[in-house]
Amino acid sequence: MPTPASPSASASSSHRRASSDLMVRIGSADSEIKLRALRELKNQIIGNRTKKLFFLKLGAVPAVSCALAEAQAQAQAQAQADLLVQSAAALGSFACGFDAGVRAVLDSGAFANLVALLSFPDDKVVDAGARSLRMIYQSKLAPKYDFLQEENMEFLLSLLNSENETVTGLGASIIIHSCETVVEQKALCHAGVLKKLTSLLEGSPSQKDASLESLATIIKKNPEAASKFVSESRRALSSVTDLSKDRNPRTRLLACMCLIVIRNTSPCYLQDIGIKTKLVYLLLELLDDPGQVGEEASFAFSSLLAQKEDLQKLAFEAKAIDKLHNHLQKHLLQPRRYQGILLALAELCSKLESCRSRFLSLEVLNLVTDALTHEVADVRTAACICLRSVSRSIKSLSAGHFMKEMIVIPLVRLLHDPSTSVQVAALGAVSNIVVDFTTAKSTFLQCGGLKLLVQLSKSMDPILRLNALWGLRNLMFLADNTCKEGIFLELTAPSLSSLICDPEPFVQEQALALVRNLVDGCLDSIEYVFAEDGIILDAIGRQLQSASKAEIGIQGMYVLSNIASGNEFHKEAVMHQLLLQVNNGTQAFILKFLQSNDSQLRTAAIWTIINLTFPSSPGASSRVVKLRNAGIVSQIKTMVNDPCVDVKLRVRTALGQFMTIGDSST
Amino acid sequence: MPVRVVESSAPSQVSGANSGKTSPPACTLLSVGQAFSGTQNVSSLQKDEAWRVNVRIQGCDLEHGYLCGTMEALNVPMADTPVVTFWEGEIVDTINYTFFTGKWEATPEDDKKHWDKFPSFSPFKSQVEFDGGKNLDLSNYPYIFMRWKEQYFVNVGTDCGLTIAGFYYVCFSCSDGSISGFYYDPNSSPFQKLELKSTNDGRSGFSFSSYELQ
Repeated sequence: MPTPASPSASASSSHRRASSDLMVRIGSADSEIKLRALRELKNQIIGNRTKKLFFLKLGAVPAVSCALAEAQAQAQAQAQADLLVQSAAALGSFACGFDAGVRAVLDSGAFANLVALLSFPDDKVVDAGARSLRMIYQSKLAPKYDFLQEENMEFLLSLLNSENETVTGLGASIIIHSCETVVEQKALCHAGVLKKLTSLLEGSPSQKDASLESLATIIKKNPEAASKFVSESRRALSSVTDLSKDRNPRTRLLACMCLIVIRNTSPCYLQDIGIKTKLVYLLLELLDDPGQVGEEASFAFSSLLAQKEDLQKLAFEAKAIDKLHNHLQKHLLQPRRYQGILLALAELCSKLESCRSRFLSLEVLNLVTDALTHEVADVRTAACICLRSVSRSIKSLSAGHFMKEMIVIPLVRLLHDPSTSVQVAALGAVSNIVVDFTTAKSTFLQCGGLKLLVQLSKSMDPILRLNALWGLRNLMFLADNTCKEGIFLELTAPSLSSLICDPEPFVQEQALALVRNLVDGCLDSIEYVFAEDGIILDAIGRQLQSASKAEIGIQGMYVLSNIASGNEFHKEAVMHQLLLQVNNGTQAFILKFLQSNDSQLRTAAIWTIINLTFPSSPGASSRVVKLRNAGIVSQIKTMVNDPCVDVKLRVRTALGQFMTIGDSST
Repeated sequence: MPVRVVESSAPSQVSGANSGKTSPPACTLLSVGQAFSGTQNVSSLQKDEAWRVNVRIQGCDLEHGYLCGTMEALNVPMADTPVVTFWEGEIVDTINYTFFTGKWEATPEDDKKHWDKFPSFSPFKSQVEFDGGKNLDLSNYPYIFMRWKEQYFVNVGTDCGLTIAGFYYVCFSCSDGSISGFYYDPNSSPFQKLELKSTNDGRSGFSFSSYELQ
């Protein structure tokens, strides 16, 4: 039975009626009605995401797109010009900051019609078209513009040369969106775009911003473009520097970002301490901006500091850690701002102990630990990266600052995070934390970390395998017997031998480094490599014979060297591996390594020989004979003047031992 | 290694930077994980005394002339357990650090007096007298000169009645991994000698472990 509608239901249904009516009016044959409807629609959706979505569902975009196309077809009359302006503006509003809107506009086929508006004689129409297209180009969904086609480049230049500010802005937006490769950067430079953009630095506020961003896009990682920009006009670089003092915070930020791109691309520019300090202070100040500028400032700050110890020192002196800490303490941080601040702290603590020390004394660690459980994956990743940086402090690792349940438990949980990038970042932090020099490695095992590391070491993703093994290798470093046994039992001999033979060389290297640590320390630990008929040792021998890079040889030889520092049985097992190829008639890998260009590899190889011929061991003399017969002793004799001091000294030790043992030919 | 407190003084801070990365060592016997044991002579006018000492290298960053580790003093009379301290080292590479300490209450005269105690220092004596040895190339020399400064107690509180105010002048032999050192603290007995040898955990040879920070 029908009942009276409630007031809210009635309001809602009248709203729906009005909207349907609006849609009908957009489709009206009467230009006046259509124009008013388009204006009304535009006004309703501007800045209102809910309304945009509502009208999107009602099919407003194809309707407006149709109105645009019809008006274009009969564009002589003034009324049609107004229709073009209003329909373009409505489409632009749908696209503004709203990807679903951009998709709908593109799907409706309006893009080509909007581009065509740029050739209209009426300035207002051109402006509306350009404005709408700019909104589209701000989205990742916008079509990529092919600069390499001559007519496209000409069209782009015509946009940049336009008197209309919106049109030049569109040209810049196209560059920012579509210039991705070095070839495209070169094509733009060659076409004289840098010069044009430099001139726009003197233009209106929006032209300045667009030009700064486009310049950064063209110069990024392209030293040739950076040099062309700086040398083409004497004013170019100083114009950008001047804009870092602009009244508008966004312009200041974009100028800083442009300067950072130039410096990161060609470190020869902007070496002056004054400009470096200025950039540090400017970006720290811009962090205070409550909006998007503040968010982006932290990312710009990170790229300023990345890999640069001098700038990190300047930032430290400018109390950057304290300032970032203050920001981190604010409640309800937007995820992007949160992420940016954590990454900036990570860069700051990546190299300097003074920064890490300040970080720890301010107790920033607690706030970063909180971020490990944030709902947004990018924030969790950033928190892990920050932890990874700060845990590079050996001084703090030695004091056991990180191996605490409040850090380890959430970190271990992230090892099975649904996002792979979170897992990789968590593994990075874990790898450092488990180095722990105190006796607290067991904390990690108790928190279930070992099981997860072992699981991840068997992942199909080679990056996860690498990082999990890296963690296990560091966990194994100076581990006590219980911890070693725990790792070995969890990992098992067959898994370890298959990781040594992993298809990825960097995984092989970490697996070998892990075994190196396994057989270090207590003498009994050498026995692990003899488990299950010695499959681990056999895998090492095979891998050394086919080692694709020096690092694999280094880690593998240290495994053999550590085994060779054991008892007679251990030493003979190593001899067997070394001479296996000689007996097969091929060159022994030990000879190849002793002749290597890598001094670390030569060192590792010579240590193995020293251990095999250690004077107090009973079988030393028979081993010297075998080594001499295999040509290894004579190879070592050629190395007495090795350019590397370490190798030279070890060669002397080895020759001294051969002599003591009684090798008459020495 | 800590010594008895004579007069309280705060430990100086090492300002050296380190990336946390472990670079390849100049000498494998001085690489991370390597252990040494020996004695420190703490004799005074009253009595002859030597404490057993164990050292473990924990970090090495040659680019910054940085080395660090722990030092364990075993038979400290006033402590119930072995006393472990964490130390940071400056490698005299004439790039990051020279023979002159320039801090920790050590004058150039103190430096020269201490370096002079190492026979392996003699080839550099005149150059160090002349300009501090700032242009010397020590990269191929089979001895490594260092200063080790204890930074904190690892397993006891600061109220343990011991002090780590001083620092060590250290000379490491790359040939056999032996270490000699002299403790310097204006408030302690002068020239307390540290003598350490590379240890091998009962093995017939040398074993090397490694870690790598990310």
